[in-house]
Amino acid sequence: MTLAVDVIKSGGRRQPEKFQREKLHASIVAACLSVRAPEGQAEAIAHAVCDSVIAWLENHPEVTSQDIRIITTKHLKVHHPEAAYLYEQNRITI
Amino acid sequence: MAKKYEFDYDLIVIGSGAGGSAAATIAAKQGKRVAIVESGTFGGESPNWSDIPLKSLLHAANLYDEARHGSRFGLRSSTLGYNYPSIRAWKDLAVKRTGAGGNRKYYENQGIDTYSGLAHFLTPNEVSVNRRHLSANYFLIASGARWVVPEIPGLDTVKYLTPHTILEAIRPPKSLLIIGGGETAVEIAQLMAIFGTKVYIVEQASHILPGLDSEVSDLMGRVLSEQKGITIMAHSKVVSVERDGLIKRVIVTHAGTEKSIRVDEVLVAIGREPQVDFGLDNAGIKYNTGGIKVNSHLQTNVRHIYAAGEVLGKNSHTHTALMESQIAANNMFEKTKASPDYSCLTEVIFTYPGIATVGLSEYDCIKRDLAINKAMAPLSIIARSNTSDFRDGFVKIITDKKGVILGGTVVAPHAAEIIHELSIAVKHGLSAYQIAETPHAFLSWSEAIKVAASKLV
Repeated sequence: MTLAVDVIKSGGRRQPEKFQREKLHASIVAACLSVRAPEGQAEAIAHAVCDSVIAWLENHPEVTSQDIRIITTKHLKVHHPEAAYLYEQNRITI
Repeated sequence: MAKKYEFDYDLIVIGSGAGGSAAATIAAKQGKRVAIVESGTFGGESPNWSDIPLKSLLHAANLYDEARHGSRFGLRSSTLGYNYPSIRAWKDLAVKRTGAGGNRKYYENQGIDTYSGLAHFLTPNEVSVNRRHLSANYFLIASGARWVVPEIPGLDTVKYLTPHTILEAIRPPKSLLIIGGGETAVEIAQLMAIFGTKVYIVEQASHILPGLDSEVSDLMGRVLSEQKGITIMAHSKVVSVERDGLIKRVIVTHAGTEKSIRVDEVLVAIGREPQVDFGLDNAGIKYNTGGIKVNSHLQTNVRHIYAAGEVLGKNSHTHTALMESQIAANNMFEKTKASPDYSCLTEVIFTYPGIATVGLSEYDCIKRDLAINKAMAPLSIIARSNTSDFRDGFVKIITDKKGVILGGTVVAPHAAEIIHELSIAVKHGLSAYQIAETPHAFLSWSEAIKVAASKLV
């Protein structure tokens, strides 16, 4: 699913891209699996966190990739603090 | 020579309320290129949703209430009534007459560019508003605060009211439960009770108006319960809310026992939290859920970005936000930097009797371990209480051991006017003796200040 939200990449040198739920979902799953969360739990967490991030994005037509990382970390912390820590620290996950 | 960057504006103000509008106007008058961004209604909270509408409704309610109880003065008031749609029309007129309320043109007429939408920082010098990028040399964040919605099971399944939406109600509800016992909650409770609503106040603290001295909350608790029939449930907590047909059933716990209350409406007024969802991380601004961090010049850790008003996380009133906004504008464009003086700011609650405080409260002095003297003058000992047949109130003055006034509290009719004598005393370090030796007009409520000051000499 592509939401009508422009994501400005960090550094400002690359072109902005449209927000993609699949990309965010995959990055959250990767963070959860990296801290040995079961695959089913990782998928469920990613689904819930993506919903929360998309709800936030509804009022924000243009955001930076850093914004998405911060909001995702905030919601991921509720479900899996360890995965959230990894997500926050590892900038290449999204 | 270093390259000087060009920006779209000299100043972008985020938020058009009291914290933003003063700075925008000052900068525009100095010939600066100014833009103001508003995500809600232009004019912000005070003219649209809080001070102006609520106080105009309270004025009408208090007139009605005084007239209704005029029989002791020989007035016949048995046929007195009210028409709530007309009262709402009066409120709307008062909002319209402020000029700023909901009026974008008000700013445009002053040469300020206006943008409607949510501002979001992309870089320290650039915001995005509806995908439009705006850059500026300086920013002022005056985005205000929003009412907090507590996590109470079932609350999201019922249509609850907020201090915004209750003022737009077609008619007062038959019964109303207010979650929270702060100043707005108490003002609305009194307003609705005057129009015949059965009001319940549920407050977690040991008394209503928890930020004030206990004498104030004790007196107001008694006035609200005995004269207005309001049920005050202190030390209590709402544990769940559920729909029960057309009405709402609220479960409240108090001292380990649960009580079920059936009401028509639930009002959530537990407090306000700063609005900080503006991509502040992209600008590198330090903040937390308590607000944006600023220095004494209202400057954030990013030198060209200032903040004013409720977004700072203090219990800010409109006059405080205006003062901060003016100071922020000064500090951006003038060489001499200024700092806000919070020591003599008044806090006013427009109940009847009104409540007004200035300077340090007794509790503040205890926290600071200050040696103080205090004196109270009940309204009943001054002549005006006899001619007005009104006795519920007092003046309390706090001084240091040398007699210099540190703070004061007035609970009386017209408290908002009376308090300014004490504001001047606090601001200029006057002593209780100087107040006591100043003649006060016979039959004015201000005589109570002279009496309280005399007790400290």
